[in-house]
Amino acid sequence: MTPSQDTSALFENLRLELRRGSLVLAVLACLRSEQYGYTLRKILADLGMEIEEGTLYPLLRRLETQGLLLSEWREADKRNKRFYKLSPLGAEVLEKLLAEWKALDSSLDQIVKG
Amino acid sequence: MEPLERYLNNLSKLLPAAQRDDIIRELREDIQSELEDKREELGRALSEQEQTELLSRRGNPLKVAAAYRQDHRTLAFGRQWIGPVLFPFYIRVLTFNLSLTFFILAVIFAALYIGGQTVHLGDVFSNFLLQIFLQFTAVTVIFSLIERHLTKHPGHWTTQQVRALHLPRLEKNVREVSRFESISIIVASTVALIWMQAVWSHLFLIFGPAASFLRLAPIWHQIYWPMVAIILASILRATINLIYPNWIRFRAAARVLFDAAGLALVYVLISAQHYVVLAGEATAQASNKEHMLQVVNQWTYYALWAAAAVAVAQTVGSLIRFVRTIHGPSAAGI
Repeated sequence: MTPSQDTSALFENLRLELRRGSLVLAVLACLRSEQYGYTLRKILADLGMEIEEGTLYPLLRRLETQGLLLSEWREADKRNKRFYKLSPLGAEVLEKLLAEWKALDSSLDQIVKG
Repeated sequence: MEPLERYLNNLSKLLPAAQRDDIIRELREDIQSELEDKREELGRALSEQEQTELLSRRGNPLKVAAAYRQDHRTLAFGRQWIGPVLFPFYIRVLTFNLSLTFFILAVIFAALYIGGQTVHLGDVFSNFLLQIFLQFTAVTVIFSLIERHLTKHPGHWTTQQVRALHLPRLEKNVREVSRFESISIIVASTVALIWMQAVWSHLFLIFGPAASFLRLAPIWHQIYWPMVAIILASILRATINLIYPNWIRFRAAARVLFDAAGLALVYVLISAQHYVVLAGEATAQASNKEHMLQVVNQWTYYALWAAAAVAVAQTVGSLIRFVRTIHGPSAAGI
């Protein structure tokens, strides 16, 4: 592996690490209105937050298991789809996470500006 | 929709059983939505090739399935040797190999004990520990090499998947050779080869303290290379089925051949009747060693008859499965 490959692999790992936490926030925020997996993925991609199906669906399941999301199978466009939305607990956690994220963002901003 | 069904079929085997149907249902819906979007965008139906490309972008089914597992255990000493994708396969192969080795050792120690040989607990313990060390090292090295390959070439399996999807159209309900089965056979057979080689040159691995006066009978030297050939052929067969999982008929035919060859080896062994002999320097010693020799040979003889019964059943089963791949309702594959 060349040094430039090393650097790009390192950057990629750090980038993924940075995105991981933000994804939860983005998904919870998006699900304040009900969506099914595919539209959620499209909305996130349109807003610059691309997420692979292999990451999104396991994440949705985990958030549902944690009680942050509710889901139900329903027919739409002549097909059964699984719709997700934020649970009351999810809404409460989202508010706290958003406050935390804003505080972090402000701190980071100050640190970066020196 | 055939590539979609084949993709989901392949993936479903790797998913946790309790959530399998639900996950597949949701993924099917997601893929169908994407296919519909593409159809609308192009203004026409997607070709099989286009569907295949779209599915291949979803990545290696092993990695997709791993994301759904709650169990994210890994093997790490300093750095990660085996990641969460391969870890469940690793544990299953290691457990199988260790169980088989322990069973063989238990039979040998029991025969030595019944034959009048003093068996010390320390010898049994150290022998079992050595086997754990050998099996653990061999299986871990092989799996860490696979892990390294997967990390370096994350798209490689996807390419294989695409190639498999390009193969001739299959009838409905045709099963594929699971990747788990193929990987397990490759690893377990490789470990078996290493173990055989180790036992060959270090008899204490199998005889324990009795290795000082027991030797393998000449019959084992006669069947050594045929045994190696069968194991190598099994590895080759599993590798081919890893690349072409829908070559069901090929697997069925190969199994008939290997089982028949295995049966022939068992027949040759049964005919020999002598499986261990006394080492040159031990022959002059007391009759209790002669007695022990008889017991070990007799036990091995009975065990071989049991193995022959299993081998016959296995060969007949393989033959039936092979005939079904030709004449049965799901006749297909190469």
